[in-house]
Amino acid sequence: MKSRAGIASVLGLVLSAAIFGAGAASAEPLKVGYSDWPGWVAWQVAIDKGWLKEAGVDVTFQWFDYSASMDAFTAGKIDANLMTNGDTLVTGAGGGKGIMVMLTDYSNGNDMIVGKPGVKSLKDLKGKKIGIEVGLVEHLLLLHGLQEAGMKEKDVKLVNAKTNETPQVLASGQVDAIGAWQPVSGEAMKGLAGSKPVYTSAKAPGLIYDVLAVSPTSLKARKDDWVKLIKVWDRVVHYIDDPKTQDDAVKIMAARVGLTPEAYKPLLKGTKLIDVAEGKKIFKKGKGLTSLYGSSEIANDFNVKNEVYKQAQDVNSYIDPSLTEALK
Amino acid sequence: MTRARWFQVLRPLSPHARLVALCLSFVLPVLAWCLVSYVPYVWHPQVYITNPGSVDYLQPGMRMNKDAFADEVKDARENGKEPPQGYPANPIYLPAPHEVLQAFYTAFKTPPAAQDGDWLHQSLWHSIQIIFWGFFISSLIGVPLGILCGTYAIFSRVSEPFIEFFRYLPAPAFGALAVAILGIYDGPKITIIVIGTLFQQVLIIANTTRKLDVSLVEAAMTLGTQNMQLLRRVVIPGILPDLYRDQRILLGWAWTYLIVAELIGTMSGITWFITQQARYQHFANVYAAIMMIGIIGLGTDIVLALIGRRLFPWDRSLVKSE
Repeated sequence: MKSRAGIASVLGLVLSAAIFGAGAASAEPLKVGYSDWPGWVAWQVAIDKGWLKEAGVDVTFQWFDYSASMDAFTAGKIDANLMTNGDTLVTGAGGGKGIMVMLTDYSNGNDMIVGKPGVKSLKDLKGKKIGIEVGLVEHLLLLHGLQEAGMKEKDVKLVNAKTNETPQVLASGQVDAIGAWQPVSGEAMKGLAGSKPVYTSAKAPGLIYDVLAVSPTSLKARKDDWVKLIKVWDRVVHYIDDPKTQDDAVKIMAARVGLTPEAYKPLLKGTKLIDVAEGKKIFKKGKGLTSLYGSSEIANDFNVKNEVYKQAQDVNSYIDPSLTEALK
Repeated sequence: MTRARWFQVLRPLSPHARLVALCLSFVLPVLAWCLVSYVPYVWHPQVYITNPGSVDYLQPGMRMNKDAFADEVKDARENGKEPPQGYPANPIYLPAPHEVLQAFYTAFKTPPAAQDGDWLHQSLWHSIQIIFWGFFISSLIGVPLGILCGTYAIFSRVSEPFIEFFRYLPAPAFGALAVAILGIYDGPKITIIVIGTLFQQVLIIANTTRKLDVSLVEAAMTLGTQNMQLLRRVVIPGILPDLYRDQRILLGWAWTYLIVAELIGTMSGITWFITQQARYQHFANVYAAIMMIGIIGLGTDIVLALIGRRLFPWDRSLVKSE
């Protein structure tokens, strides 16, 4: 099937037929992009168990590399994408507006700043080099941590490094710490014995929320379907959090990314999944990290300051709590 | 006498010497790899921990730098505690040959873990299809255009300056645009292969066409051959063996774009396997996948070369390169 679709699009290319704007018609299944993060891999449980069909919602999940998923969403080729609240603002500023209609999780320790042996706290990093991907979530986490420790960004030296390559960067000994998320951060610690986390997202829960961002057109046309999907998510969270069924869930999730269940389980710990009841609380307007609004404002400021985009975004227009609130 | 046999300027080797050389060309790199992997102290900058001893932050299976390990051992000895144990190891990024061979074998034997997952051979087949279609479409445009450019100056003047410019642009940078136009499945991936191959193809084939022996064309014209006929009966048959060889080289070129192409849109093919395994640092699997690509590439090329010998028995350069 897949390759036939490929050939069809190829023929389209040869004839240089205009395939522009072939947006999803209402009869087509909804397309959701997901990638390798525990809070999103969790959807695999619903997929494998057939809960989506059961709920009567016609949806296909497409597996992407994270940044490719944002490209596909911006291009309007998928109806919704799973990403962080900060990145939703980034894609929105780039023309691919997404409305955050539900929360999947917040990072609760999986994002971390790892110091080489001997570095015990962020204070030890004063005047030292930190390998980090500038402008991404780990940078935001570091700034937050430095602030808590009474330090400024100027107190440390940032070395721009690809997050995926931070294990090698740390092991090279040319930096004193790195910032990365799991599983990369875990591999970094395995690669340099004695290195340990000096600051993690567990100390700033809500700094990074992960959300389902839906395109405004699809949200308007198929609101009922999206509500149904959120309901399925509630079931997924309870299935994973229930000790009785957790092992089965972990098995499904580990299979998706090609790990053994034992290796995957620790990753789950650093991710706090958010069910509908908790989601409602986070959807309440407020300042600070306990509210999606407050957290997104912080991300907004960060993005403008680091010139990820120039114009500050209107955070309110990116959030629609009504779907989550509609559920009991 | 023997030296003369092995080192003769511009002369082919004897069949026996050819076989030896062929073996050497593979054996030498593998030997170097074995040397680095199996002989201690050639490289081995790290220590693989088997027993953490009294050091609290160590765990079996960790790797640490040699100096740090020596320090910990000294420390423990001086304090009368149990020292950690381990053996010299290379960084995880360079697995040993036997690990890669094992990974090569098990990769094909392992059923897909996820329900909607693919077997490795299915992923490979998907990648081969991407290459095939990318190369096919590129050739559909590139071969005729290249021949025209090589034959008629007007085609060359109109198209080549722009192509010369465009061929330097990085094909992967067009990924997002390709997704916007062609969707998230195979379309944009094939497009990247086409963009990566086509422009080189036109230039190379145009060049090959220009190298056609002018006396052939002149002789044909003396005999009264006209424009189109000249192209069909003289130019194309004249360059065919060289064109075929160009295509073989270009097909290899197309393969080098596979990894970037498959990262665009939904993850698929052999790239899905490579990136996912690399993320969790299963580098034996990564190297096994790289080997598979090499084997497929070399295999196709050998088959094409053999077919070429059948098709163009008069072409001496083909025989020489064997």
